[in-house]
Amino acid sequence: MTLQECYAAMSGNYDDAIGRLRSERLVQKFVLKFLDDGSYDLLCRSLEEKNYEEAFRAAHTIKGVCQNLSITKLQDSSSRLCESLRNGYTPESGVLAEEVREDYAQTVAAIQTFQKESAG
Amino acid sequence: MSTEQKQKILIVDDSELNRAILADMLADEYEIVEAENGLQGVGLLQQQETEISLVLLDIVMPQMDGFGVLEVMAQNHWIDDIPVIMISAETGSSHIERAYELGVTDFISRPFDALIVHRRVVNTILLYAKQKRLVGMVADQIYENQQRSSLLIDILSHIVEFRNGESGLHVLNVRTLTELMLNQLVQKTDRYHLSPSDISMICTASSLHDIGKISIDEKILNKPGRFTDEEFAVMKTHSLAGAEMLENLPIHQNDPLVKVAYDICRWHHERWDGRGYPDGLHGDEIPISAQIVALADVYDALTSKRCYKDSFPHETAIQMILDGKCGAFNPLLLDCLRDFADDLPAHMNNSNSVAQRSRREMRNVAQEMHRHEELTASERTLQLLEHERMKYSFFADMSKEIQFEFTASPPMITLSNWGAEHLGLDEIIMDPLHQPEAREVMDPADFQNLVDILRSTSPDLPVVTYDCKLNYKGAWRWTQIIARATWSNDEPPRYTGAIGKAIDIHDSRMKLASLERQASHDALTGLLNHAYAKKRILERIESRPTASCALVIFDLDHFKSANDTYGHSFGDQVLVHLAEKLRQCIRGGDIAARVGGDEFLIFLEYKDDVETVISRIFQSLCGQFEHFPLSISMGVALTSTSMCDYDHLFHAADQALYTVKRGGRGQYRFYDESMRETLSAISPIDGDESEQQN
Repeated sequence: MTLQECYAAMSGNYDDAIGRLRSERLVQKFVLKFLDDGSYDLLCRSLEEKNYEEAFRAAHTIKGVCQNLSITKLQDSSSRLCESLRNGYTPESGVLAEEVREDYAQTVAAIQTFQKESAG
Repeated sequence: MSTEQKQKILIVDDSELNRAILADMLADEYEIVEAENGLQGVGLLQQQETEISLVLLDIVMPQMDGFGVLEVMAQNHWIDDIPVIMISAETGSSHIERAYELGVTDFISRPFDALIVHRRVVNTILLYAKQKRLVGMVADQIYENQQRSSLLIDILSHIVEFRNGESGLHVLNVRTLTELMLNQLVQKTDRYHLSPSDISMICTASSLHDIGKISIDEKILNKPGRFTDEEFAVMKTHSLAGAEMLENLPIHQNDPLVKVAYDICRWHHERWDGRGYPDGLHGDEIPISAQIVALADVYDALTSKRCYKDSFPHETAIQMILDGKCGAFNPLLLDCLRDFADDLPAHMNNSNSVAQRSRREMRNVAQEMHRHEELTASERTLQLLEHERMKYSFFADMSKEIQFEFTASPPMITLSNWGAEHLGLDEIIMDPLHQPEAREVMDPADFQNLVDILRSTSPDLPVVTYDCKLNYKGAWRWTQIIARATWSNDEPPRYTGAIGKAIDIHDSRMKLASLERQASHDALTGLLNHAYAKKRILERIESRPTASCALVIFDLDHFKSANDTYGHSFGDQVLVHLAEKLRQCIRGGDIAARVGGDEFLIFLEYKDDVETVISRIFQSLCGQFEHFPLSISMGVALTSTSMCDYDHLFHAADQALYTVKRGGRGQYRFYDESMRETLSAISPIDGDESEQQN
């Protein structure tokens, strides 16, 4: 799997990322680093604990990271979740959180496959 | 700014990945420091303020958001010197607007283009560096220009003096005295609205006060002896002549320096009472610059040798001026003169060195730079600051002391490297009152107390000493905290925090406590000793003069035989046993002591039935220790029946005890008048108390 294919698998925009960050090396480095980012765990934990202020910040961070890396699909869903949590919990938040979970899983799966294949 | 050392960029963002992306783009050219939230960012700024060339700041962060950071930066004026580029996914115009309002230089929204971020960072840093360099250049140039113009003025005034046959130091002396007077005056009053730059200008212009003399005939100028009326009239024209020369300058007529010099030339022979020349101005109609130079001129004329007179000593000259023998001056100026009259000769000698003057001028420039809002502190000042910081941290490390800096808003403690290690804390502690690790080290109540005390100090008396216990990695030890509250220069002054150090005084304090205990307690029984008990009893009688009290003295019957039969060590055990029983049968407020040998003392307060109290104590002290029967003889004196002072009370109890001894031992008695003539049981006849006859 190439990085480009990885982007396709996680519904990201490869060209945009390369265009902004200017180097394949850089994009690859940070896409792999995405796996270590704790914001998603924080999001899940905050939602469980009903700490919506913290959840807002976590969603906001995921959105920011995805923006930087042009991981478009997760960026869109996390952005929607973020907005729904900006002033506390709203009825849509639950559904939107579910979307984020799916997109996150898809993203992580794509990156993990890429990581395995590029390492091997 | 040095180009070899990398400039430092602070990245404040709660996402490590975001920080890493930014750091990666900039790490080649810049040194990167990272903070994961606003509070940490502020802490790093506090610590490394002068080293940080740029801040990249996120908005949404835990603990303190980006706007909070900007507010703190504005409060501390960091934003004036450190450019901030905000990077955020928040693109609402209200956010951007607020960021610019709070002083950010640039706003970049996510997703960002690496090239653009890089370019903007480089541009901003270059711009600020350029500004700083310009500030430095301006400062240098001002300094150089001032140097050059003082040189020209010195030459010019020397020419005047030369013609005048004066020592050559007159101009310098007048200038020095003028500066001293001005500095004294501004401390006394702000009536004349004199800024540091006014002062510097008046001092420079003072050198020109006699330029008009160039138009006076040399024969008159250098005439020894008195002037004729005609000659004096000619001489008097020099003030107006000097003023006219300046007024007729083809250029620079509107230069502030020329205007001040004009005032001084024209009016430095006016008098406060209106009887001077050329215009007969009155009081404060005479510009303050001319008033001061006039006084300085007179003082130097008096203390210097001239062709027509000898010099007067300093004290005489001052007295003549104060007595009004050499003109009439503004009383306020005479006050100033009086204030520093004693130090004046030393000042005049010191200030004649050129180096000194340069330093003073340099200081003026520095002050000027500080006052100017658009120009930030010059690079030189920054280097000095950096140097001070390096010195400070070196000495702080060397001294093996816990040194700290506390800022009130936001609440934050910065510990010296060694101090942090010693206490097991971070060097920077944000919000120490609520930070769990800090609360473990210092009791929050103590902390709050100390902060309250610091806040209640004044700029004049800012130093506070506070003793409390600190936790040194698990060991609570007595510590003395010496701190100096810091106050801003604002009017009124604002409390900004404190600096200080914590000294471990545990050992010395414990030693003192143990010495105190040794000095006040009997080593064998642990009861108070006689001397200390007496002190306590005296205090008690003094603080409660109306209370009914009893002084009880008792001893063991046949104690000598216990010693003789079972040995001294057994005797000691008996005493320890008895002391323990004594401790058990008295109340908390009562005073019990070993007087010496086998004699003990109790001092207690009672309400009504003292007999029962004494009886109960007596009964509980009797008994048996191993084979030795404990039999007690006890004498009691009451404040109600005896004189109320200690010595009488003690003597009475002693006499009651003696009466018991004589009457067959093993009982207690209250003192009464019948015992007045008896002997003392206690005052030993042979000197050795433990061998005393029982």
